[in-house]
Amino acid sequence: MSLLLNKISFKPTEEYHLNDISLKFDSGKMYTILGRTLSGKTTLLKTIAGLQTPDSGSINFDDTDFLSIPVWKRNVAMVYQQFINYPHLNVRDNIAFPLKQRKMDENLIESEVKEAMEKVGLIGFESRKIQELSGGQQQRVALARSLAKKAKILLLDEPLVNLDYKLREGLREEFKKLFNVSDESNSILIYASTDPLEAMQLNGNIIVIDEGKILQSGTAKDVFENPATAKVAEITNDPAMNINKCLIQDNSLIMNDSVQIQIPDQLKSIPNGKYLVGIRATDIYLDDQGFAFDVEISEISGSETFLHLRNNNLKCVATIEEVKTYNTNEVVKINFDKSKIYLFEESGELQHSPYQ
Amino acid sequence: MNFKHKYVFLLPGLIVLIGILIFPIIFTVRLSLSGWNSFNPGLDFIGLKNYIRLFTDDPRFWQSFFRLSFLAITTVFLQYIIGFALAHMVWKDIKFKRFFRVLFLIPMMTTPVIMTVIWRTFFHESLGPLNDFLSIFGLQPPWLSSPGLAKVSIIVVEVWQWTSFMFLLMLAGLLSLPKEPFLAAAVDGASPFKKFIYVTFPLMAPISIGAIIIRLIEASKIMDTVFVLTSGGPGTSTETSSFFIFIKGLREFQMGYAATASFTYLIIMIISLTVIVKVLTKVLMRE
Repeated sequence: MSLLLNKISFKPTEEYHLNDISLKFDSGKMYTILGRTLSGKTTLLKTIAGLQTPDSGSINFDDTDFLSIPVWKRNVAMVYQQFINYPHLNVRDNIAFPLKQRKMDENLIESEVKEAMEKVGLIGFESRKIQELSGGQQQRVALARSLAKKAKILLLDEPLVNLDYKLREGLREEFKKLFNVSDESNSILIYASTDPLEAMQLNGNIIVIDEGKILQSGTAKDVFENPATAKVAEITNDPAMNINKCLIQDNSLIMNDSVQIQIPDQLKSIPNGKYLVGIRATDIYLDDQGFAFDVEISEISGSETFLHLRNNNLKCVATIEEVKTYNTNEVVKINFDKSKIYLFEESGELQHSPYQ
Repeated sequence: MNFKHKYVFLLPGLIVLIGILIFPIIFTVRLSLSGWNSFNPGLDFIGLKNYIRLFTDDPRFWQSFFRLSFLAITTVFLQYIIGFALAHMVWKDIKFKRFFRVLFLIPMMTTPVIMTVIWRTFFHESLGPLNDFLSIFGLQPPWLSSPGLAKVSIIVVEVWQWTSFMFLLMLAGLLSLPKEPFLAAAVDGASPFKKFIYVTFPLMAPISIGAIIIRLIEASKIMDTVFVLTSGGPGTSTETSSFFIFIKGLREFQMGYAATASFTYLIIMIISLTVIVKVLTKVLMRE
C-alpha cells in the first residue's frame, strides 16, 4: 500500500503554497518533511488529511482517489503544532473520541484507550480536564488520540516545537519507540519539522521542501552528504551551511581578495569559473596561520560556541568546540577543512560533494 | 483608618439601592398585608387574608401562572432551536453572510408594541391579510377569538420578536469558540452532523444556558404582546400572571391583593429559575 501525490498545486494567493508536488509514501515507513516556516509543510499535511483541497493534482491511496473522500472518512490521524484537544472532554474521552466516531465496542475502546495512554505515559490522568494539564501533557493527549485511532496515515505537524527543551528531548526519544511500534501496523508516518537535527535523529526518509516545492528527497544520510542544491544544504544544516560565491582560477579557490585557498586534490578536475562554495560551520576551525575574520556575534550553545564572522563582504558562521566569550569586532584566525568543501553551480546545483 | 469615610462613599449607591429596590420590595410586602382598594385606600392591616384568598379561592391566578409557564417554556424553546439554527447557518462562510446576519436581527430592532399592533392587523379575522390568503383554501381560522389559536398567535409573535435576540447571543457564542477542536474532530472521523452533536453543542452549553435563562426571565414577563394582541382574551384564556396582576392592581384597584399576587409570583419565579438553572447545567454540561 502506498500514498501517491501527483502534481499537487495549491495557490490561494499570488504565491504558490504547494507547487507541483509529486511524492510517493510507502506504508510501514517514516518520512520527515524538512523545511523552514511557511515553506508549505503544514499545507501539505492538511492536504493529505483533507482539511484543504488542492487546486490541481491528484492523491491516490491504495488505488482509491483520496481527494473524492471527505476528511472524516479518510483514515488519517493528525497531531498539530498547537496542542489541539477537546476542552469539554476529559483525558479519557478525548482519546476515545475518534474510536467513538467509529461506533467501536465500549470494551474495545476501553482497552485501546488504555494502551495508547500507557504508550505516552498518561496513566493516572484519565479523568483530568484538559485545562488542568501542562503543555507537554496536552500534547501527549493529542498524540495518544492519534495513536489510538490506529490510522493508516499518521501526520505529525511539528508536534514538539511548542514544548520546552527538556520535554522535547524526552518526547522525541519516545517518538522513536512509538514509531517502531507503529511500523508493525503498517501505517505511513509523516513528520514535519523545521529542525534538521530532529530530522536526522528520527532517521527516516527526508523530504526537503521550500516555497512549496520539493527540493530533494532521500535517506537522512543521502540528503546530508549529497544535498541536491545549495538551498537544501542551507535548510538541512543547523547552523545553515555557509554558502558563498567563489571563483576557481589557476588551482586556487578565491572567495574574496584576502581569502583564497589552494585547491585540494579532489577538486583539481573542476574547470575554472564561478561557483558557490559550501562549508559547514563545523568544518571551520581556529588556526593561527589562518585567515583573519571579525567577530560579529558570538553565541554559546551548550558545549559549543557559534561565531558569526565577517571578512569584508564574506560572511560565515563557525562552530567552535569550546565555550568561550568573544567580543564583537575581535579578530580571530580561522581555516577551512579542505576535504569537506562542497561546490555548487552558480544556479545552485551540486557540482562536487566530499562524499561522492 | 476612619470608617466614617467609607459610609460617605457608599451612600450614593446605597440610596439608589434602597430607593429603587429595597423600599419597593418591603412596601409590596407591607401592601400585601393590607386591604387597600378603591373603597378603602390606605395601609390598614388585615393579616394574611389576601394570601389565604390567593391560595384557596383564586383559580384564575393559578391558571394564569400555568399558562405563563407554558407560554414561556414553549416560546423560549422555539427561540432557542430557531435562533441556534440560524446562527449556525451564518456562522460558516456562506454567500451573503453579512446580509443574512443583519436580516435576522431586524425583528429585534423593531418596537415590540408597534409590531404587535401590526401582527394584530395581520391576524384580524375578517380584514387581515393572513385570512385573506387562507380564504383561497376556504379557511377562516379565528386567530384571536378561539382560546387555542389565540395562544398560538401569541407564541408566533413572541418567537418572531425575540428569536433575533437568541440568534445574536448564539452567533456571538459560536464566533467565540476555538477553531482547533473542529479541525481535530474532522480528522478524527466526525461527520458534519456528529461534529455538531459531539463538539459544537457541548462547547456551546455554557452560552446556551445563559441565553435560555435570560430569555426565560424576559419571557416570564410576557405582557405587552398579550395586552395589545388579545387583552387576555377571549375570556381569560391568554391571561398571564403579569397581566392578571396588572388587571387586579391598576384596573380594579385592589392594590393590596395585587401586591399579594406580585410577591407570591416573585417567590415562585426565584425558586423555579434556580431549579431550572440547576437542571440545565446538569443536562447540558453533564456535571
